[in-house]
Amino acid sequence: MKQKQASWFTGYVTVEIRGDAPEQFFQECSRQGIPVWDIKKTSSDICQGNVKLTDIKAIKQVIRNSNYKLTFAKRSGYPFIIRRFRRKKELLLALAMSVLLVLILSNIIWKVEIAGVPSDIEEKVNQQLEDYGIHPGAWTFTLDSPSDIQQQLIEDVPELLWAGIQQNGTTFYLEGVEKLLVEEEENLEPRNLVATKKGVIKYMYVSKGVPAVEVNDYVQPGDLLVSGNLNEEIESNEQEEEEDSQQTLVAAQGEITATTWYEVAVTVPFETDYETLTGNRETKYYLEFGSVRIPIWGFGDPEYELKAYETEKKPLKFFNWTLPISFVEETISEKVHTNMERTKDEAIAAGIQQAKNELALELGPEAEFISEKVLQETTESGKVKLNLYMTVEEDISTPQLISENQMSR
Amino acid sequence: MLKRLNQRIRPWLIRYFALPSDVILELPRITIIGQLHVYIENHQGMEAYSDTELTLRTKQGFIRITGSDFVLKMMVSEEILLEGTIKEVSFIAG
Repeated sequence: MKQKQASWFTGYVTVEIRGDAPEQFFQECSRQGIPVWDIKKTSSDICQGNVKLTDIKAIKQVIRNSNYKLTFAKRSGYPFIIRRFRRKKELLLALAMSVLLVLILSNIIWKVEIAGVPSDIEEKVNQQLEDYGIHPGAWTFTLDSPSDIQQQLIEDVPELLWAGIQQNGTTFYLEGVEKLLVEEEENLEPRNLVATKKGVIKYMYVSKGVPAVEVNDYVQPGDLLVSGNLNEEIESNEQEEEEDSQQTLVAAQGEITATTWYEVAVTVPFETDYETLTGNRETKYYLEFGSVRIPIWGFGDPEYELKAYETEKKPLKFFNWTLPISFVEETISEKVHTNMERTKDEAIAAGIQQAKNELALELGPEAEFISEKVLQETTESGKVKLNLYMTVEEDISTPQLISENQMSR
Repeated sequence: MLKRLNQRIRPWLIRYFALPSDVILELPRITIIGQLHVYIENHQGMEAYSDTELTLRTKQGFIRITGSDFVLKMMVSEEILLEGTIKEVSFIAG
């Protein structure tokens, strides 16, 4: 049985033997060690049987020494199928082309579906997607990853609060959530504004409430800045309910900008090392099979002294299956290594900038730097240590609920 | 003389060493699976074959298998696998 299964791959032939007692021919074959199988006697002088393709020569030898007549009735197995295919080159070509066509079509976007947003925004989103190259007929592997597109889209379409992008086969689904401008809450609870930091009041803009401090006053953290208690001027409040209670409370609103001070310590080395990209770059494209890369476009390495590599991989698809083949885009950028020695003045300037950046991160974008002063500088093992005194203008007010305030008192 | 001794020793070997009789006595071993298959080992050659009958030579005579739709599924020297509808297996003294 074993020889029979393997014979399909090596090929086998059904031979027809004519003559007197044809079964004796097969008997002779098996005696010579030629395996034969599926022997059938179709009539008294005809016998059919299968032999391996590789045994044909031996069979012919046996025939020559006898007076049987041999004809080949049927050729079966893999080598014959291949041979038959090879004769039909057009068919083979068509088969290859159709596979290629499916492969190409599987990697093209056919549909972009946008859901969850009104039609005017949908139009806008569509336009934006078109700009990114996402439209029916685009190659999927030239696109950015869905999360990148999502982020980009939210940045470029300010009306969108959130966008979910999903690539399902050849369809791009985009689900958006529109940003609804929520009106500011009307009924705020009564509150005061208090200081969060010590500082000197610079500007005051109070839209609701009674100012408790004046410009150029020095305040400590927790000091009352704007009071929400309006016992004296009742008529200025619209929402107020006239009751017997003497206190009329509102939610104080306003902006209190004060000058504040910070002491910052920074250390700056004289010598710095850093790498920058020059902007020269080359892009190469590969097809990747497992760990083997076949270049498609961009041959030869650019002659940069230092290189930064960035690779992006996109798997190819066949219908809905991901193939083990990937389309790889590799960008090689030129890198420059800079070693800079700074003078003391430059180091101090860099230190001040660094301190500003650090402080700006802490205080938020609205803080404004007024002046800075070097309090102390020491040079020590190639580094400059600075103690800086920074003057900043920022909003120092924070709301505090009145009831809570009273309780705490 | 030696041949005769040989023939007397063999049954003795089978009895006392429990050796398989087909190996020692060079008898054919015939395995029949239902009516479907007959598997014959250790035969001495095919005498006649048609789609209703198969005759094999052995040391002691012939084995004749009759039935219908006979196909020799496999044939190597001293081994034959017959497929078909088996009706009868008979031993004919040579």
